[in-house]
Amino acid sequence: MNYNTRGFPPGYFFNTKMMVLSKQKRIRWIVIGLLSVIFVVITICVIIVSQRKLPTDDLRLAREALSGAKEAEANIYSEKMFKEASQNYDSAMVNWARENRRFILFRDYGRAINFAGRAKKRADEAAEESIKKSSTLNKDIESSFVSLAKKIELYNKLFKNLPISRSVFDAHNKSKMFLSESKIAHDNGKLNEADILYKKAEIYTNHANSAASKMLRDYFNDYPNWSRLANDAIAASRGGNKVILVDKVAHILYVYQSGKAIRSFQAEFGSNWMAHKERNGDRATPEGNYHICNEKNRGNSAYHKALLLDYPNADDRRLFAQNKRNGLISRGAGIGNLIEIHGNGGKGFDWTSGCVGLRDNDIDDLCRLVGPGTRVTIVGSLQPLSVITSGTDF
Amino acid sequence: MKSKLIIAIAAMGIAVLFSSCAKVPQTEIDAATAAIQSTKDAGADLYVPEAYQAMVDSMKSANEKVEVAKAKWFPNYTKAKDLLAKVNTMATDAKAKTEARKVELKNEVTTMIGEVKALVAENTALIAKAPRGKEGKEALEAIKSDNAVAETTVTEVEALLANGDLLGSDSKIKAAKEKATSIKAELDEAIAKKGAAKAPAAKAAKAPAAKAPVAKKAKK
Repeated sequence: MNYNTRGFPPGYFFNTKMMVLSKQKRIRWIVIGLLSVIFVVITICVIIVSQRKLPTDDLRLAREALSGAKEAEANIYSEKMFKEASQNYDSAMVNWARENRRFILFRDYGRAINFAGRAKKRADEAAEESIKKSSTLNKDIESSFVSLAKKIELYNKLFKNLPISRSVFDAHNKSKMFLSESKIAHDNGKLNEADILYKKAEIYTNHANSAASKMLRDYFNDYPNWSRLANDAIAASRGGNKVILVDKVAHILYVYQSGKAIRSFQAEFGSNWMAHKERNGDRATPEGNYHICNEKNRGNSAYHKALLLDYPNADDRRLFAQNKRNGLISRGAGIGNLIEIHGNGGKGFDWTSGCVGLRDNDIDDLCRLVGPGTRVTIVGSLQPLSVITSGTDF
Repeated sequence: MKSKLIIAIAAMGIAVLFSSCAKVPQTEIDAATAAIQSTKDAGADLYVPEAYQAMVDSMKSANEKVEVAKAKWFPNYTKAKDLLAKVNTMATDAKAKTEARKVELKNEVTTMIGEVKALVAENTALIAKAPRGKEGKEALEAIKSDNAVAETTVTEVEALLANGDLLGSDSKIKAAKEKATSIKAELDEAIAKKGAAKAPAAKAAKAPAAKAPVAKKAKK
């Protein structure tokens, strides 16, 4: 074997170099291969990730739908649906966050997208339902206002001037207050609040109206008797005599002659006028047939002028005795007296102790027309209840 | 070759470093959430609902942006951070607006309470002047009751105001004002009517034949 000067066999260096070179080549190829694999894997990952649909748009749409629903006050008028929509949105966000915590390649936003889609759908439905419901509620409240205003008007028309108990007109006043509050809430767009206040107003109105209407109906049970008394009085005027006919409900005093009303005057009565006088101090104006028994001119009457009536008549005495026997009137009570037609009236409300109050110039006129001995018939009403209420259902 | 390999490894390292450096802006999220809560506590959802809703929507949008960033290879929270800062500004603004609205409403209600009290007092004085007749009080009971309802409402409003229910007190006092005003109109009308009825009586009183008034007999 030939050895070179350094003692290595021939070709040793070449072979060694060749070996080193082939090793480097292998490493290079391995690196290239690895990098290629990494590149391919990364490319695949990037493709996978970039191809994956994020729930961004779905959640944006859901959020906008929720915002729209809130604007439509779905949280008030479509509470359940709005709550569902909100829950779905929250679930979508929770799912999205959970998926984001996982390794990027294993993330799946499908559920988040589903929740977001459901949130949008529910929010849209809630908005739609809210608009419908609030519109219906608005219409209902507006029509309720009209119907309640009619009831209050009915009260003012039929019952306001009736001698009603304090609790009844308190209820009426409260109902008006609640109605005002309800209208303010309605004007501010707070329909639910308006509805609640309206319902309170309605309760008070119904209470006031039903109590007052019962009182009115009960009072008109005497209508057949009033009708008979009035017809008798008008018949009595046919011979040319003047007869006074007083209609308490209408607050009018008529002077009849020859079967016709020749004069009429506005009249005011006792504060408890909607009852027949039964005893002294009851502030009721008597009902029945009376006569003028004395005329008091200026200076003799505290009320400008007065025509004294012969109250109590025989019927009044009989009723008084009967009521006393039945214990309806206290033993010490008296039947009352000094019922007059007098002046100082025109006050616009019922203020006397049971007398018939006229304006001073009206009592002057009346005194010129009638005098002692003139028949005075006082009735609750000349018209039946149906006419008084103009057929109004109350 | 070696150097190329080192560069590649370094690049990957930097990439990994970058991706791990962009942290979720939790401090900003917490601050914005606290700001919204504090605005709500101040009553912004009641007194400035539009501003409050806009702020809540922005917060939701910021949360979405955080998740969008998280979903990326290299998260970037700049947009989310900007929006969260905006939410904070909106919260400050909404809170200021709430306080301003509260002050405005409180002044409005307080002024109206004064007005209604004055009206109620005026009505009470008018009731005293109103036509009474010989028996006095009974006929004015209805009006008195109406006035009492207005007066009671004022007391209720004051209690609501003391409890901080400005919105409730506002609508109630408005209704009370409406009522007190209508009562005053009713009383003014009745007094005017009384004046008109008294005028001819006054003329008659001037007549020379007039005698001293006769004492009223109470028994009826």
